[in-house]
Amino acid sequence: MRLRLRQRSSTGLGADDDLSRTDRVVRALLLLTALIPVLALLFLAAEMVNSAVPALVYAGGDLFTQQLFTFGNLYATAETVSHGIHAPLGAAYGALPFIVGTLLSSAIALAIAVPISVGAVLALVERVPRRFQPALSVFLELLAGIPSVAYGFWGILYFGPALAQHLYPALSRLGVVLPFMRGPVGAGEGLLTAAVILAVMIIPIIAATTRELVRTVPVLAKEGAVALGMTPYETARTVTLPFIRNGILAASVLGWARALGETMAVLMISGDLLNALPANIYSPFSTIAATIVDLLDSALTDPTGMAVHALAAIGLILLAITLATNLAGRVIIRRVTTGVLPVGRGI
Amino acid sequence: MVASAAALGVRPATHATQTAGPGMTVEDLRVRFDAREVLHGISAAFARGRITALIGPTGCGKTTLLRSLNRLHDGRPGARISGRVRLGEEDVYDARTNVRELRRRIGMLFQRPNPFPQSIRENVALAARIHGLWSRAEVPERTEKVLREVGLWDAVRDRLSSAPFALSGGQQQLLCLARALAVEPEVLLLDEPTSSLDPGSMSRIEELIAALRERMTVIIVTHNLQQAARVADEVCVLLDGSLVEQAPAAAFFRGPSDERSRAYVEGRIG
Repeated sequence: MRLRLRQRSSTGLGADDDLSRTDRVVRALLLLTALIPVLALLFLAAEMVNSAVPALVYAGGDLFTQQLFTFGNLYATAETVSHGIHAPLGAAYGALPFIVGTLLSSAIALAIAVPISVGAVLALVERVPRRFQPALSVFLELLAGIPSVAYGFWGILYFGPALAQHLYPALSRLGVVLPFMRGPVGAGEGLLTAAVILAVMIIPIIAATTRELVRTVPVLAKEGAVALGMTPYETARTVTLPFIRNGILAASVLGWARALGETMAVLMISGDLLNALPANIYSPFSTIAATIVDLLDSALTDPTGMAVHALAAIGLILLAITLATNLAGRVIIRRVTTGVLPVGRGI
Repeated sequence: MVASAAALGVRPATHATQTAGPGMTVEDLRVRFDAREVLHGISAAFARGRITALIGPTGCGKTTLLRSLNRLHDGRPGARISGRVRLGEEDVYDARTNVRELRRRIGMLFQRPNPFPQSIRENVALAARIHGLWSRAEVPERTEKVLREVGLWDAVRDRLSSAPFALSGGQQQLLCLARALAVEPEVLLLDEPTSSLDPGSMSRIEELIAALRERMTVIIVTHNLQQAARVADEVCVLLDGSLVEQAPAAAFFRGPSDERSRAYVEGRIG
């Protein structure tokens, strides 16, 4: 009886005459729920590719190399034809500024968020008395629950202007050594402000993962350092951090994937620069996600439909970047869990 | 060879030379973890230049006592320590004690090897560098010297820059010993240092410990009575958090004077 059932189940759904009707319905439903995530991703990717194709053909390599992104004259009767595709007069779909803006803002956010997350976690786990830890951990988790529009609002009303007034002028002095830090610093809407806000948004993700990692470091290993008279800082550098280095890398990739796709907060504080690359680190810019939201309304008025195809094309690029990042994160995590032993380089 | 000589208990106390550093004493040492008192007022002396073995059944407080000596309970929530612990004349638990320097002077080897996730060279040199004992230029030479002393040099000379985790358990424990010796401790605490090792590594480490007595005060926790008989000059028997007997090893293994420690040695307790 059991054997027969097993044979049946390996052939999938079908003539399971010894299962009751309810059993069969439940099985079908369960299978369906299991398939939904797979189908959703496949359907989404297929639909994105499908809508993107005309714009991809029209723009060709210009999509990745050109800075001009315009839907063209939506009222003109004349059309621009490129690679056999008709689009409104003057339409050009160069997405380089969005690609650069997406990668740059998320990378700067990561550079800010990772050291803060790791430092905060080491302080939390190693230094804060155990009874205060849960309360502080709650704050970390609350930070993750703040809606992104609230971050955007706070950023544009208070945080951005405050940074531009108090911090950026000082930072711009570093321009002597680092050209991209040179002014003008603007009014606080731009790359660095967005990156700082993104950093605040991804700190909970990185910190929560890092906290679990720090707790897996064997006590015996740390005691070896303590018994040699090392300070908590030296112990962290010598033992704790090398043990969790790969894990921090994986956590960072997760945080990066989040920053890549973040839309609303970035849209509100980016300064929304089109058709040009950011001139310095304070400059307005735009990301793929923010641009899609920003331009969707006007894209829908394009009678040729090409504007929507163009937004689908840049959306496809974002999808590809995000999937690639996630896969990379998975590979790293697998490497971590299959026990490649960590080695540091000393102090 | 050295180990077997020690087993006979013939090594006289005159071997404790001026270079052997101070001994340690504890007076009425009580250790509580929250409401539970683990050590009930221990008084004992760990003479300099001698090897003292702490023996007793599991859970009797041997390791707790050992870890009190280098203040390793300090970070543990709920730990309360009273009484006196002295290194030479200095009060280990005095508020003015420099704990960092104290732990440099009191080295420790643990139940299982716990090398740092650093290169083999860094494992030996890191603490010595941090304590300012070795200059950067001295590292290669002094690393070699310490590794030679523990007999690990030939095994690792070609892979000083690689991780220590590929070494055998015994080699890793020797590396940890080298790491402890690099900071020139005056006292060495050993917490069942061979309990996870094969017999060959065990006798290698026992030989090294026996040789170290010339230079430092050694206190070893062990479950292994044969090991205590082989290496120790002095034996302390702990039962349920109390010291029931401290005696020279030779006399003790001829016949414990305390009825309870006799029961333990004969296997009637623990």
